[in-house]
Amino acid sequence: MERNKILKDINTIFIDVLDNEDIVLTEETKASDVDGWDSLTHIQLVVDFENHFGIRFTTMEIQGWKNVGDIVDSISSK
Amino acid sequence: MKTVLQVILDKIKVKNSKHYEKLVAHLDGYGDSYETLANSFFNKYNQYLENNQKTIDFGIDCYLKMIDDMLEQRFKFIREGKYANSSFDDVEKRIYGNSEIMTYHMHGLVLAQFLWFDQYERILFFIQNIGKFAKNGKKYLEIGGGHGLYMNEAVNLLIDIEKFDLVDISESSLELAKGIIDSKKVNYFLKNIFDFREDETYDFITMGEVLEHVEEPLSLLNKINQLLNVDGVCYITTPINAPMIDHIYLFHNENEIREMLNEAGFTIIEERIVISEKITEKQAAKFKVPVMYAAFIKKQ
Repeated sequence: MERNKILKDINTIFIDVLDNEDIVLTEETKASDVDGWDSLTHIQLVVDFENHFGIRFTTMEIQGWKNVGDIVDSISSK
Repeated sequence: MKTVLQVILDKIKVKNSKHYEKLVAHLDGYGDSYETLANSFFNKYNQYLENNQKTIDFGIDCYLKMIDDMLEQRFKFIREGKYANSSFDDVEKRIYGNSEIMTYHMHGLVLAQFLWFDQYERILFFIQNIGKFAKNGKKYLEIGGGHGLYMNEAVNLLIDIEKFDLVDISESSLELAKGIIDSKKVNYFLKNIFDFREDETYDFITMGEVLEHVEEPLSLLNKINQLLNVDGVCYITTPINAPMIDHIYLFHNENEIREMLNEAGFTIIEERIVISEKITEKQAAKFKVPVMYAAFIKKQ
């Protein structure tokens, strides 16, 4: 899947989980840039990514993410 | 000189700074009474560790290991919508029968009693009301006494009680409780509650965080009903949406607990419900965040 399409889908999931229509992600976006993206919502986001893309992340992968680009990398590598 | 609580928090800050920030933010505003109670308990715990040739670092490492377990369990829970365990026999074999896991899990929970604000609210609710509900009682029972915190408070607060019994299924928990409780008045029983006393009833029963460990909590509540005097009171607590390595029965919301209490023949006198994160009820339901449920109940 193209990176842009993955980013777009991730953005939609963020809007849904965090209940915020204004979220616009880039590959450089970090948790501290998005209101409400914390350890609690992160778990729900990860599971929603998994369900949407039909994949499963390992704990190592999840812990290695520094920004949205890293998430896109993980998804595109599956 | 630093208090034990400060030492614990400082060491957590070094080992897991993100978790430290969350703890401190959650505990902000509880003030002196919180610190006094926390340090009183942690001093006893520290002494217990020293008596067993261990230091507080051991307890902190156990706690952080438990936190890692909890994160893994939470991912499973959010993915599958259920707790990882459904069988008591399975949990008994894999967790209770594994001394390494059992040890760090038990010590982790000791620290959680005061590091988690919802757990502090649980003991606070107990302390604030136990005198009122147990005032005419003579016989007191705690089921699953674990770390001894609740029995220790009961012994100190309820001076008219003549008999304190503590029953727990775990030998290591009982040993820890004996190390924490500074009273000769308590009788300890290493037993499964279902095999405990058919011939005696109690004026007050405390059972904190046990219902979620069994396959059929209704049977356990029925057992409590048998053990409780006609005009007795029970303090019961159990979590909602709280995946842990040894949790079996999932309560999805407080109404499920209320309905089960009612089905077992109890009436709720007073209850306290605390979300384990500083978020709204709506958010807690959406993200299935653990919620602490506590109630004083009596027979219908």
